[in-house]
Amino acid sequence: MQFSGNVAYTKQREWEQYLMPKTLSEALTLLSDYKGEARIIAGGTDLVVQGRGGTVKAKVLVDITRIPGLDHIILDNETIRIGCLVTHTLIAESSLIREKAAALCEGASKLGSPQIRNVGTVAGNIANAQPGADTTIPLLALGASIKVVSREGERVIPLTELFTGVGTTSIDSTREIVTEVTFPAPGDNEASAALRLAKRKALVLPILTVAVAVRADLKKGIFTSARIAVGPVAATPLRCEAAEGVLSGSPISDEVIKRAAAAAAGASNPRTSLIRGTREYRQAMVAVLVERAVKSALTRVEGKNG
Amino acid sequence: MAKETVEFTVNGKGVSLEVEPGEMLVDVLRERLGLTGTKAGCREGECGVCSVIMNGALVAACLMPIKKAQGTAILTIEGLEANGELDSVQKRFIEHGAVQCGFCTPAMVLAGKALLDKNPRPTREEIQLAISGILCRCTGYQKIIKAIDAASQSGTRGEA
Repeated sequence: MQFSGNVAYTKQREWEQYLMPKTLSEALTLLSDYKGEARIIAGGTDLVVQGRGGTVKAKVLVDITRIPGLDHIILDNETIRIGCLVTHTLIAESSLIREKAAALCEGASKLGSPQIRNVGTVAGNIANAQPGADTTIPLLALGASIKVVSREGERVIPLTELFTGVGTTSIDSTREIVTEVTFPAPGDNEASAALRLAKRKALVLPILTVAVAVRADLKKGIFTSARIAVGPVAATPLRCEAAEGVLSGSPISDEVIKRAAAAAAGASNPRTSLIRGTREYRQAMVAVLVERAVKSALTRVEGKNG
Repeated sequence: MAKETVEFTVNGKGVSLEVEPGEMLVDVLRERLGLTGTKAGCREGECGVCSVIMNGALVAACLMPIKKAQGTAILTIEGLEANGELDSVQKRFIEHGAVQCGFCTPAMVLAGKALLDKNPRPTREEIQLAISGILCRCTGYQKIIKAIDAASQSGTRGEA
């Protein structure tokens, strides 16, 4: 009898061409020439795996990793700019990011494994649009935007307006390329923190990931403003505005922090999942993680002003 | 499907190959270059047994389209031995009994090597982090950590 069941995999991947342009305009021209049949690949740690399951159909891959000038991490006039080829390892090891945006450093250093962090990019993690993406959640809390270029020009999309569903964004991947991630450099009265809840410490998707950025006036003893992001608790990475509102303008106290944490849990709509636990457990843990992250960020503000 | 030429070095030797654009590095190493020390496990970047060192960084060869190898320097387990002598990480693995079934061993040794090349005196936590992307179902990891730690104290080309 001939075996006709599922074939576990084919070693040869489905793409028919693998192109490595040397400039951004060459890459954009290739996307245009192949009229929707080409996809951008950078690190490839998501795309290569998705291709095997057949969820990504691309005849042509356009690899942008040999284009010079896209791997910067710089502070430019109070804006932090991260090029689209910056890997998670580069973020985790960047002293600028550690000092200015600790939450992003924490998120990047816990993503996947060393092998994945060495090649996977932050821009790719955003574009892959998973609601619990380890660097997207901190970047949402940091108020980040992405720059997207096409042959027609460029546009800036705030992360709050980018995601349209699980795995989908408003980027047109048949003609646009994400070139940069930017966010305002936090000042001396601001700090951030990210926390992750997962079954193991490595190579596991998070049960929850939470990031908080707070601005505080320590002399007056109040939170000036805050941004709180949580995932995966909805179809898209979630900003918890209600919880932010509880902190903004309120006195720094355990009671206020607990109320904000409860508001974040209330805004979360996690599913019961065999891998991630029950809805009730996960909602309760959102409150715990938000409370801890706010306190951790606050301690960092105090450290900067100590 | 047009074949294309890819050139890179493996264990210090230049390689020039005609490849299909859909080939992955792990299969090229194993099946075309005969370097079967690199294992193919999950093929999804989860198990880490396909790890090799590319331009100094540990990478999963199963997630690496072959064209990404163009112009790079790749080190596999077969390249660690020099002049008939094992690398000190390999020697410590033997001494500490850090090998059981052996399937993860090439990747674990390379993870240790990649770590020590950058950080000759890592903490235990740094060693744990360095091997955190590789699954071992036999050893419980403790002897692997001890072996890398021992190699770190003696330097990567230390005495046996």
